[in-house]
Amino acid sequence: MEIHAYEKLWFIASLVLIVGFIATITYGTVSLGITMVDDREETISPEELDEDERFQDPRVEQVGENEYEVYVVAFQFAFQPGTIEVPEESTVTFYVTSRDVIHSFSLVGTNTNTMVIPGEVTTVTVEFDEPNEYGVVCNEYCGSGHHAMEGLVQVVEEEKFDQGGEDGDTDE
Amino acid sequence: MPASTGEKSVTSESTGEPARTQRTIGHDEFDPLGTLVLIFLYFLILIAMWVFTYFIEFLGNDPTPIMLW
Repeated sequence: MEIHAYEKLWFIASLVLIVGFIATITYGTVSLGITMVDDREETISPEELDEDERFQDPRVEQVGENEYEVYVVAFQFAFQPGTIEVPEESTVTFYVTSRDVIHSFSLVGTNTNTMVIPGEVTTVTVEFDEPNEYGVVCNEYCGSGHHAMEGLVQVVEEEKFDQGGEDGDTDE
Repeated sequence: MPASTGEKSVTSESTGEPARTQRTIGHDEFDPLGTLVLIFLYFLILIAMWVFTYFIEFLGNDPTPIMLW
């Protein structure tokens, strides 16, 4: 069977292209550790958030040298804590749940964007490098005040974080 | 199989148009260079779009959720 030279070239080029696509995604997963959000955490009862030691007092907590956990409760129409303060160069795991309806917890302009479902504890781990400020919005329609539902994540310099206190909870 | 080239034959006319010459070339003599360049250009565009979309548009929107081992 005669296969034209260009036909062979095209076939090989297409395969190389596909391998390149797969390699890029593999690099993202294996080297950068990029993952999708899932439901691996245990479920929780939205009526009993006050009995859960994480969510009865939504806060930032340090769990390692540069590791922090942030417990967030979303409800109509705000996030608790409204302003979250974490230091630069940190690995932060957000545990987010909802008190009432489905919301989302989304850092504007980033890929940190996840649904918040009553009964589920959404677990998202991200790395913050430089000091920055990220607005938090709710991307999932949750009622009449949905458009005004917002929060703030401040990544501050080391020195400022220690001064501000570790719970990161600022009264609005 | 030897390629045969350059044979000329005249098609039979039924509409009275002037006779055209048909040229038969072998399999490997077919050389659509223009098409090759065009497809190669498309490939470059694909690669550029992929690099842009993944590395700049996606990874550029730090931070991205990662696995905590």
